[in-house]
Amino acid sequence: MRYNRVTPEIVERLRRIVGDGYVITSPGDLERYGIDEIEERYRRPPEVVVKPRTPEEIAAIMKLANEYRIPVTPRGAGTGLSGGAVPIHGGIVVSLERMNEILEIDVDNMMVTVEPGVVLADMMRAVEAKGLFYPVDVSTLESCHVGGNVAENAGGARAVKYGVTGHWVYGLEIVTPTGKIVRLGGKRIKDVTGYNLVQLVVGSEGTLGIVTKITFRLTIKPKCVLDLLVPFDTLDNAVAQVNKLFREEHGLAAIEFMDDLSIRAAERYCNTVLPHDDCEAHLLIQVDGMKEGEVWRAAERVYHAVVEGGAKEVFVADNRITREKLWRARRNIAEALKALNNYISVEDIVVPRSRIPEMARRLRELSRAHDIEVPLYGHIGDGNLHPTPVSGDRDEETWVRDLEAFLVDMFKAVRELGGNITAEHGIGFKRVKYLPLALDEVEIELMKAIKRAWDPNGILNPGKAVPLGP
Amino acid sequence: MRIVVLVKYVPDTDEIKIDPATGTMVREGIPGIINPLDLYAVEEALRLREDYGGETLALSMGPLAAEGALRETLSMGVDRAVLLTDRRFAGSDTWATARALSMAVRHLGDFDLVLCGERATDGETGQVGPEVGAMLGIPVVTYVSRIEEVCPVEGGAGQIRCERLTEEGYQLVETALPALLTVVKEINEPRLPTFRGKLAARRAEIQHLTADDLGLPSGETGLQGSPTRVVKVFYPSLARDTEMVYEPPERAVERILAFLEEHSLT
Repeated sequence: MRYNRVTPEIVERLRRIVGDGYVITSPGDLERYGIDEIEERYRRPPEVVVKPRTPEEIAAIMKLANEYRIPVTPRGAGTGLSGGAVPIHGGIVVSLERMNEILEIDVDNMMVTVEPGVVLADMMRAVEAKGLFYPVDVSTLESCHVGGNVAENAGGARAVKYGVTGHWVYGLEIVTPTGKIVRLGGKRIKDVTGYNLVQLVVGSEGTLGIVTKITFRLTIKPKCVLDLLVPFDTLDNAVAQVNKLFREEHGLAAIEFMDDLSIRAAERYCNTVLPHDDCEAHLLIQVDGMKEGEVWRAAERVYHAVVEGGAKEVFVADNRITREKLWRARRNIAEALKALNNYISVEDIVVPRSRIPEMARRLRELSRAHDIEVPLYGHIGDGNLHPTPVSGDRDEETWVRDLEAFLVDMFKAVRELGGNITAEHGIGFKRVKYLPLALDEVEIELMKAIKRAWDPNGILNPGKAVPLGP
Repeated sequence: MRIVVLVKYVPDTDEIKIDPATGTMVREGIPGIINPLDLYAVEEALRLREDYGGETLALSMGPLAAEGALRETLSMGVDRAVLLTDRRFAGSDTWATARALSMAVRHLGDFDLVLCGERATDGETGQVGPEVGAMLGIPVVTYVSRIEEVCPVEGGAGQIRCERLTEEGYQLVETALPALLTVVKEINEPRLPTFRGKLAARRAEIQHLTADDLGLPSGETGLQGSPTRVVKVFYPSLARDTEMVYEPPERAVERILAFLEEHSLT
């Protein structure tokens, strides 16, 4: 499959579809649309950026792109971590930034319908104002778009209790790769009529359609939330507590983990100090519920369990100020590591929870063997870790070579322990070459067949999620 | 050393709303929290106790719910908490508040230091601390960013040396004890409450004092005892005039330098 270049004639036709002001061709502006939150070396500017306002405009863009065989890359806020929004083959970037309206908050059905360009935190605040709650707590909630959350099936800290984005997606409107507008699912809690295409599109990384409307299910907001910060002398000790806690407690909304390297980077970056920052591991445990007394009793049980398990101390945040202090550090680790190193690679592995101690040991061995420092943090309650190899003072060429060797070894170890290579950031094109390590051959063939059926010309976000060359 | 920390219970919000009819803050329906800037005063008191021994006491004035702010200080490690609570205190301005607080400080016995946050995040006046100091007739040092040395003497006649933050830099101040200090964020990093501390604080008894306990005459409390009259409350309009410079770096730098000079900002 060969792609064509975007010609002045095509730009002209795009202008007619979306209007003069919403087509970008100046090189400086195109640069900005050439990267998301992955490493800078992956930057590939598109040939043109369009900012449609309606699904009909997007449908027209897709038809045009099929006619001329131009690759199309959909883009939300550009906060993705696997290069899903990077137009690796050039072509057209469809930026959904103008489609940012909250269309309906349906209190009776506890559903919200939004356009893809709505910022996650804005949607959360809007539904909370109506007494409802959207619980998926993505680290970049103040900047990421919900469309990107759906495309990547974003997870985040509270997935332990509330599940990932897909868990809450009940209806979608998408523009298919060939330019048809279709509604999938709806405000129906149960519906087995046909294949579950909603959940096929969720997490398809913008390769099967461009999402133009989303209906999320909502829940009620827990009235009481407590966060406990628990430092442990050793990593093994900390991870051993996690499995125990799950067997004993029901209301755990999050169990996050930060090692000493991560916590110190976050302290420097956020200009703050956390207690016992010399400890090898910190757990951040969130307990929530509807009744204050019950939540405190649950927290008390957690307290006794972790103290028995060797916790150095247990700190607690029960108000916005202290909670913010704890979570700000946790949320800013990736940014901190980025700011403090020349190059980093935020990884996103997942293993069955019982294998976490073994995985942590393997990571330490690999770190030593490859002489790469690997700060480790993540959503330990889900078995989802973000080991983040950092370059130190390596130059780019050496770094890319050393990192590659490290990643292959790490992914092999992950697979041996029954885990996988990405839990919530996605394959994108950053990890597409590792798919044969991660999935069965038959599974990859099925994925390719689906992609071909939906997108015969292979023009929608090519080179992502499925190893299908242009 | 005996240290009294003054804390305030404030609405837990970033956006203060003003009732246009009465000109007072809308507090209904907004959960409360300890004034975040008071945490620095609490932390400093705890550190001084660690270094010099003695007792720390947190004092607040407010409705019963203000116990929440005091319990936060107890969970951090403060020894004792006292709440001034009385219908007669309702509607107090900074003067009436300072009067009640200063009488309570005296009522509670000898002390070496009174510590306060820089200001409260709701009223934003920064007046109560210094007013309490004035009413107690003790030295007041505002905007303290570091306590260098304390030489407490039995009977309250020691000395303290501290650094205060000014617009030009730092000022080193030495004064006699007892004294009142208001502290700024730069002074420390407030500790997180421990779970054990929280549990104990939830069960701790908080001493209540009323206007009668302090012997305050009826005309000198609350709205009646407040000389402040709110004439009008309005939001100042924030006007930003942005000038973007689109030039190659060298020329852009020149343009920006010229702009700064023109506006006397160099």
